[in-house]
Amino acid sequence: MSLLDRHSVFDGKGDHNHPLGTKITYWIDSLRLDHPSLSTRESKSANRLMYPTECRQRSITYRGRLTGLLHYQVDDGPVQVEERNFGLLPVMVRSNRCNLQMMKPAELIRMHEEPEEMGGYFVVNGNEKVVRLLVAQRRNHVLAIQRPSYGNRGPGFTKYATQIRCVRRDQTSQTITMHYLSTGNLLLRFPMRKQEYLVPVSLLMRALVGASDREIFEAVVGGDAENIFVRDRVELLLRSGKDYSVFTREQALAYLGDKFRVVMYAPEDMPNVDIGRLLLTRMVMVHLDDYRDKFNMLAHMVRKLYAVVSGECQEDNPDTQQMQEVYLPGHLYLGLIKEKVEDYLLGVRAEIGKDSRNGKVDLYNKRYLSRLFSRIGADIGQKAQYFLATGNLVSRSGMDMQQMTGFTIVAEKLNYLRYLSHFRCIHRGAFFTELKTTGVRKLLPEGWGFMCPVHTPDGSPCGLLNHLAHKCLLTITLEETEDVEKTLVRLGVVPDIPKPSLCDPNMLTVQLDGRVVGYCTESVAVRVAEALRILKLQRAAAGLEAKGPNIPYSMEIGYVPRSHGGQLPGLFLFTTPARFIRPVTHLATRQEDHIGSFEQVYMEIACLNEDVHPGITTHQEVLPTNILSVVANFTPFCDFNQAPRCIYQCQMGKQTMGTPMQSFPYRTDNKLYRLQTGQTPICRPRIHDDYGVDNYPNGTNAIVAVISYTGYDMEDAMILNKSAHERGFGYGSIYKTEYVDLGKFRKSGDPITTHFGVGRDMLTNETIYERIDIDGLPFPGVRVEEGDPLYAVIDDVRGRTKLIKYKGEAGFVETVRLLASQNPDEELQVVAFTFRIPRSPIIGDKFSSRHGQKGVCSQKFPAIDMPFTETGMQPDVIINPHAFPSRMTIGMFVESIAAKAGALHGVCQDSTPFQFNEANTAADYFGEQLRQAGYNYHGSEPMYSGVTGQEMRADIYIGVVYYQRLRHMVSDKYQVRTTGPINPLTHQPIKGRKRGGGIRLGEMERDALIAHGAAYFLQDRLMNCSDYSLAYVCKCCGSVLAPIAIPATSHLVDLSRPGPLDLVCRLCENADGITMVALPFVFRYLATELMSMNMKVRLDVK
Amino acid sequence: MESSQQPYQGQPVAARARATTYNCMRCGKFNELKPREPIRCFDCGYRILVKERTKRMVQFEAR
Repeated sequence: MSLLDRHSVFDGKGDHNHPLGTKITYWIDSLRLDHPSLSTRESKSANRLMYPTECRQRSITYRGRLTGLLHYQVDDGPVQVEERNFGLLPVMVRSNRCNLQMMKPAELIRMHEEPEEMGGYFVVNGNEKVVRLLVAQRRNHVLAIQRPSYGNRGPGFTKYATQIRCVRRDQTSQTITMHYLSTGNLLLRFPMRKQEYLVPVSLLMRALVGASDREIFEAVVGGDAENIFVRDRVELLLRSGKDYSVFTREQALAYLGDKFRVVMYAPEDMPNVDIGRLLLTRMVMVHLDDYRDKFNMLAHMVRKLYAVVSGECQEDNPDTQQMQEVYLPGHLYLGLIKEKVEDYLLGVRAEIGKDSRNGKVDLYNKRYLSRLFSRIGADIGQKAQYFLATGNLVSRSGMDMQQMTGFTIVAEKLNYLRYLSHFRCIHRGAFFTELKTTGVRKLLPEGWGFMCPVHTPDGSPCGLLNHLAHKCLLTITLEETEDVEKTLVRLGVVPDIPKPSLCDPNMLTVQLDGRVVGYCTESVAVRVAEALRILKLQRAAAGLEAKGPNIPYSMEIGYVPRSHGGQLPGLFLFTTPARFIRPVTHLATRQEDHIGSFEQVYMEIACLNEDVHPGITTHQEVLPTNILSVVANFTPFCDFNQAPRCIYQCQMGKQTMGTPMQSFPYRTDNKLYRLQTGQTPICRPRIHDDYGVDNYPNGTNAIVAVISYTGYDMEDAMILNKSAHERGFGYGSIYKTEYVDLGKFRKSGDPITTHFGVGRDMLTNETIYERIDIDGLPFPGVRVEEGDPLYAVIDDVRGRTKLIKYKGEAGFVETVRLLASQNPDEELQVVAFTFRIPRSPIIGDKFSSRHGQKGVCSQKFPAIDMPFTETGMQPDVIINPHAFPSRMTIGMFVESIAAKAGALHGVCQDSTPFQFNEANTAADYFGEQLRQAGYNYHGSEPMYSGVTGQEMRADIYIGVVYYQRLRHMVSDKYQVRTTGPINPLTHQPIKGRKRGGGIRLGEMERDALIAHGAAYFLQDRLMNCSDYSLAYVCKCCGSVLAPIAIPATSHLVDLSRPGPLDLVCRLCENADGITMVALPFVFRYLATELMSMNMKVRLDVK
Repeated sequence: MESSQQPYQGQPVAARARATTYNCMRCGKFNELKPREPIRCFDCGYRILVKERTKRMVQFEAR
């Protein structure tokens, strides 16, 4: 089946027999994407393939050629086929079109990638772009909604509706909503090209299968004939359907076809009935092909709507994970490509229409046709690149999405955890960020095991930007479901054919991927659900040699039991892609089972062994830590901490200056942070090795004493041991890359007039050869400071050599890359300079332990003045005991003694949470280890003052804590100014650190100063250091604006009369009262502005 | 140019057409590139070349 529709257009040059004229039918299929390779102009290279590393370094896009076959047929002539080029489409790294896909670590290293390169992102203009996961409504499942805003949609509308997001095989979706009107009528609403259409449900039901009134009645009411509420409503529904005087299926289809002819872009020769059919295929229940299935599902939707209105069942909460799935990047990308191809076909259609109006159309002319098809822009690759680069979705149809922007993010390689969490984060949707209600942000029990309860930012995106639990998976395959259906029937589900639902009101619906398969009683449903689970596990256990029915391993078996006003009961099976699933242990078989977020709600899953209730519990968690995300899992002993502290650590772990990668020489990211002296933590969770974090250390093990010493550790400040700092504690550097493109301002086709190099005029200049080579580029390794000449450019127009100076912090030239232009014969125009800026820790830099305990280095204390223990140990870091009581980060204490014991015994300590309990405490476990090493059981030791050598009164808690250096450093933040740039209009200092501006002394600060009576200081801040100016005022008229200089030849004033300078007041026409006063410059501006509005400002000067 | 000029890396400063050596980012081969030559490795045709690290001593005041 083709992804896209065929288009038919007429040229309108008809005669009597064929009023519409010649018909052309055209369509596109067999889209093909090539591996990224060099352009044909590139003649020198033996290896034609492109690799991501080149794209990153040259800041180009990693993309392959997209082609498709265009077929067209004029009238009933032969079908012509030609290949169309759709441009270069960005390719996901390590996808099956990427040249790295099958590579092993050694090969990847050879390709200048990480040994464990994960891929999953696109390289767009040198940036790594990720299409972020977005929460979507669960597909093919009817959702009951109660929303007050629905009542405002129009007369008769109520707050009740049911909604279903139907997804086609190609993963594009179409949401339809059924509204309940106070008249009892039902309207189906669906969007089409961002326009909403409402169609009566009874009309659609008739059009789908030609159902008679009786059939519709039976389909909705079923065996529940006693239910007067539903019966009455259906009656109303049927009665209101009479208004359209539509009685047969043909009539209904023709009616719909007639109304939708224009918006459907239907061919002119298509009869109304066919257009009606097309509408049903394209818009109504698009996940189903068969009209009878569509009808059944629509009837189910009606039934559920009535059930909600009558209070028989509850409305569903669209914010629970139970009703959610994910927009996967691939699905979104495919949808985009599909739409762009469709746009191309529609473009051709419009072009033919335009030509036929101008009389230029000639469909039998081959040259006309080939010109026609190539005239329409078909660069889909460019459009896809725009989507990835900006995250903006430019779409005609809206693609059934709630938002049009913010789909992509840059995968920042700040450190390993930050990078990893970009691929695990899942956003609720931009719409919800502005929502006043906070219900969406709630942590719901339905998300247990799927969403991490800890790992979410605090602040505005809290609860909207979540992270997947580390064992949560997303289904990605389209499963075969034929066997599932057969098995269902064999297990006792009665197919729909002889309307079994008519006999028994207790029959439950059985749905497979949003298709009504049949009905069964409650007891059968329980049995079926159990049997299916066993079958699916058996098949999974058998592996490849599996016999018997093919039950997909990832299938969800959601049995919703009957309840009093709860969810609508039924057996709902899902095998579709993009669902959340996670592994748990099936207790009966001791096998790993994958469960989904829909079924989880109705399952009995124990967490720990003591939670298992025999006969009730069917499943058990594999590990209690599976509910946490990757980053949250790396917080040691996080179960000892107060919950918000773990949230803070999840954030700070991602801001740490760590080891983002091992391929530093081959990276040209704008800014890269690197910790030179990273260590592996002594305290680490069990999953530390699973994720290979040892290759990407994020901090340093530090000896930490909890003591109030010298006062420099007040208010979350920490004291660093100067000797520890000199040994490399927390030493880091920043790699900055700057691109210089000489051709940036040159139009393509113009000759090159600027070159890198040192021209003849500079050859005698000896000073620059210290730094700049004859090619105009700096020697790598050379130290550069602000203002040093960095590179030289020869300008042909001026015939001069221009030296360009280095801007920014002092550093070293790490690499100078010469990058080729797109045109293979062009000389050097683009150079990438990478600078290394050393950032050894200084006072004001931020550090943090892994327990949300951040602090700023307040002093680098000399080792001789540091306190020491009896063994002569000195702390690397001193923190204040006041950091603990209110924050309750007991995990940090535990880590301290655990790592201390680990260091003493030479072992790594397991810091996985949920390992200890009241009977077996962590303090005892690690305290015993300390005792065996000859240390105090509690982890505290007597210490001696470094200054006086006296023993301190109290024993000091000292141990080893893993410390992270955060990327917030004073060097990037300090802002000072005496004088500097000013705003030309007001003469006040400008703002902004980058431009050398000042910090605003605002109204509240001003109030404080007034309250203190610090008048002189206030004067200094607001006047002298701001827009102090001297101005002339005329004492007579009080104007600051009237005194002006006397023109050279003036009749205004008698020059013989004395006055200050050569000034005169224009109003008084003399210079008698002119004096000089100090005024803020803005005051003059204000006076001018007021003057323009005919207001006079009068200063009472004495 | 004139030999009276400051010697550059132990060699006399040559005329403008003096070639500079670069390393290929992929194969690591030395490439002698004259000014205004297109940026391609002579050996493998790769499109990124890196400048060699300076042979001069790089020493800074240790603090």
